[in-house]
Amino acid sequence: MTTQPHSRKRVCYYYDSDIGNYYYGQGHPMKPHRIRMTHNLLLNYGLYRKMEIYRPHKATAEEMTKFHSDDYIRFLRSIRPDNMSEYNKQMQRFNVGEDCPVFDGLYEFCQLSAGGSVAAAVKLNKQASEICINWGGGLHHAKKSEASGFCYVNDIVLGILELLKYHQRVLYIDIDVHHGDGVEEAFYTTDRVMTVSFHKYGEYFPGTGDLRDIGAGKGKYYAVNIPLRDGMDDEAYESIFVPIISKVMETFQPSAVVLQCGADSLTGDRLGCFNLTVKGHGKCVEFVKKYNLPFMMVGGGGYTIRNVSRAWTYETSVALGVEIANELPYNDYFEYFGPDFKLHISPSNMANQNTPEYLEKIKTRLFENLRMLPHAPGVQVQAIPEDAINEESDNEDKVDKDERLPQKDLDKRIVPENEFSDSEDEGEGDRRDNRSYKGRKRPRLDKGGENKDEDKIKDEVKAEKGDDSLLKSSPDDTKKLIGPTP
Amino acid sequence: MQAESTSEDESSVPVDKIRVGRDYQAVCPELQPENQRKPELLADRALLVWSPTESIPETKLEDYIILAKDKYGYNGEQALGMLFWHKHDLERAMLDLANFTPFPDEWSVEDKVLFEQAFQFHGKSFHRIRQMLPDKTIASLVKYYYSWKKTRSRTSLMDKQARKLNTPKEEGLPSEAGSENGSNEESDHDDKGEGGACSNCGVNCTVTQVTSKGNLCNSCFQHWRRTGLLRPTSGPTGGKRGTPLGARHKRKPPRGMYINHDDLAAMASGNTGVVMLKAMDREIDSIQRQIQQNKQSISSLKRKHSDSIEDLRPSSENNSRFNARWTNEELLLAVQGVRKYGRDFKSIADVIGNKTEHHVRTFFINYRKRYNLDSILKEWEKEHGPLPEDISDIKSENDDNDNDVICISPTPSTKKDIKNGKVPQITK
Repeated sequence: MTTQPHSRKRVCYYYDSDIGNYYYGQGHPMKPHRIRMTHNLLLNYGLYRKMEIYRPHKATAEEMTKFHSDDYIRFLRSIRPDNMSEYNKQMQRFNVGEDCPVFDGLYEFCQLSAGGSVAAAVKLNKQASEICINWGGGLHHAKKSEASGFCYVNDIVLGILELLKYHQRVLYIDIDVHHGDGVEEAFYTTDRVMTVSFHKYGEYFPGTGDLRDIGAGKGKYYAVNIPLRDGMDDEAYESIFVPIISKVMETFQPSAVVLQCGADSLTGDRLGCFNLTVKGHGKCVEFVKKYNLPFMMVGGGGYTIRNVSRAWTYETSVALGVEIANELPYNDYFEYFGPDFKLHISPSNMANQNTPEYLEKIKTRLFENLRMLPHAPGVQVQAIPEDAINEESDNEDKVDKDERLPQKDLDKRIVPENEFSDSEDEGEGDRRDNRSYKGRKRPRLDKGGENKDEDKIKDEVKAEKGDDSLLKSSPDDTKKLIGPTP
Repeated sequence: MQAESTSEDESSVPVDKIRVGRDYQAVCPELQPENQRKPELLADRALLVWSPTESIPETKLEDYIILAKDKYGYNGEQALGMLFWHKHDLERAMLDLANFTPFPDEWSVEDKVLFEQAFQFHGKSFHRIRQMLPDKTIASLVKYYYSWKKTRSRTSLMDKQARKLNTPKEEGLPSEAGSENGSNEESDHDDKGEGGACSNCGVNCTVTQVTSKGNLCNSCFQHWRRTGLLRPTSGPTGGKRGTPLGARHKRKPPRGMYINHDDLAAMASGNTGVVMLKAMDREIDSIQRQIQQNKQSISSLKRKHSDSIEDLRPSSENNSRFNARWTNEELLLAVQGVRKYGRDFKSIADVIGNKTEHHVRTFFINYRKRYNLDSILKEWEKEHGPLPEDISDIKSENDDNDNDVICISPTPSTKKDIKNGKVPQITK
């Protein structure tokens, strides 16, 4: 990334200093503290002073019921750890209790998270800012009347609804390792919001996000799902993200973009299974930013909190178009970043089970779907900036050289998850998400399981597009095309 | 974001399909026609607490923040907040700093000790901890927990810290647990008075690691594993929770450090000690900040340095990079090279600079006719004697290297010259 005058943007940042004080409960991987860690890094990197800093109002029940059902919000407002027993039935109905526990200040937490995203959307509508950031938001699993996956109130949907008052078409991009099901469901039948989600698919939470899920009714072809396998690395991610987003921009022509920057797609995440570095993750931000559309960035997942704050700090710097040093500044949580105290992280040596052929296949399928979109009327085709792709890869090489660490150090950074542990639940071990969402357990790298998966996709593809000439080739070829790397 | 699968999922219908219906989708608002929009009337729904300013140079701003931090105990955010309050008037903000020093930490020494004890009993159930500290909110407990955890890990992380003069190793002695850094390092291991004692630092822990150096607590073990040395300890060690009279090994502080007994007395007597420790903490913070800043500037200088070296040698860079493309000048050079070195392709390549011997060889074959190289060679032979080997060798070699691209840079005028055969003016 270089510091170019034209990439300087007016950036507004939404943060409430209380947000880090909410606590989901002992052993729960979701830690709002990571937002405060990010904030503290921003402050000490001197990025804070380059942005407009807002303390969002708490979203009101009225604002939240723009999407959520009244009784669900009423329930969230009244439930407390000390009166839980009176709400047994409702807790079951609204899926609150296990993954989405009742914790002290739950409702306020939702208010702050949603308040930030709504305020960010208003700011963009006023055209008073080009980029708005709310790391406290991004809770993309929450449904209309249901909590899910650590999310209670869907701040993203609320933000997009606000944007829709002033924007005919809004694009939602989700780079969390989990499928952005809450947002997709909310806008599944509208052609005014396109949801694009890149996620691990196959025996993984939340179980949705199939390649064939493309929207319904008027919203058909306006949901785009990119199902991926374990081990996505920077290069592979870029190879699918850039063409898909370019195509989406070209065909859908949104006038505003929301990017969910879930950081559980980073390497070494406590729940994730991808292998992205902070740089690779940040590249998505960089790429979307180049379209110069009103741009909202929100947080999301991310359970190895030192890396979450690294990524979001870096992405804030990308939004600002400011270069920051790889050495972390001293900050309140400095010790969390040992032993190297650097901003950037290196990938692990895990295998990338997404072969270029597999990615190519997905891309082709999605392009076919995108071709079905009617061209947006009366809008000029938006040119992608020419330098969008090349420039980046050049810089990447240059930067990498300086900042690569000896493998030994890298191992140190990734492996001893609990050593200096931001993950406070020492001894509990990783809670990976590759267990089945249906409760079926799948051992990692289980050959049989993989094949089953493979067959499933094959069937899917066949079922959907029986006439696809590519698939008429011999079964072996098909297998080669879509199978995971051994 | 994600959730773990619950047993409920098994029994109930798994939500693995996007559902369609009134109960699931959001209702999109109407797009407001452009002429009816009044963006200026939209409420911000947020409070602006800082906006960037161009009027204050970066260094001055930095100085101001450091002053606010070091002298008045502000944090960076508060310092900028003060400046923003004064509408970016640096001088007025600076004068006002003293009037609004931030609330001192409302955590008293007793609170901290209580917290640690409660934490050892209840772990991270802040509700239970709160029963022992009823005047604290859960939020305040969570916040304190995260910063306490950090100082705890700081001590176990940084070896230097262990050498710090006043780091007490005992757990739970009120006068010492009051220090914000230091005292807590082993507290997550030492637990309810059971388990063995570390043979190095003497701290009680639930789990000790058996090593060749004896049973070590986690901190000592980590240090030993990393460095192969026993973790240096200082001051009286071996204090045990609840049994302060337990075995203590006398150890001397590291060389160059000494214990000032007045300081110890002051600390034991309460408030002055806390103030003193706080001041020291602040000093450490400021030094740490400086260290990281230095590291940052070193690396940026390094980068600049290596960048500018690149700038200084672009030409040599380019030349040294081998390139199968032949410019007109290079062709001329090569022809002259043949005149001078005969079939010593290596020497010709060296003269041209960005071609390998192989490139020159291919050139020779491809341009033999056009530049009449044979006659040039004959001239050379007249001076230097006959060529040792047969030229046909080269031809056969060339078959293997068909793929080598030889092209002339398409500058039209000179190209024409070459085609007309005018270029090779070989003069001695």
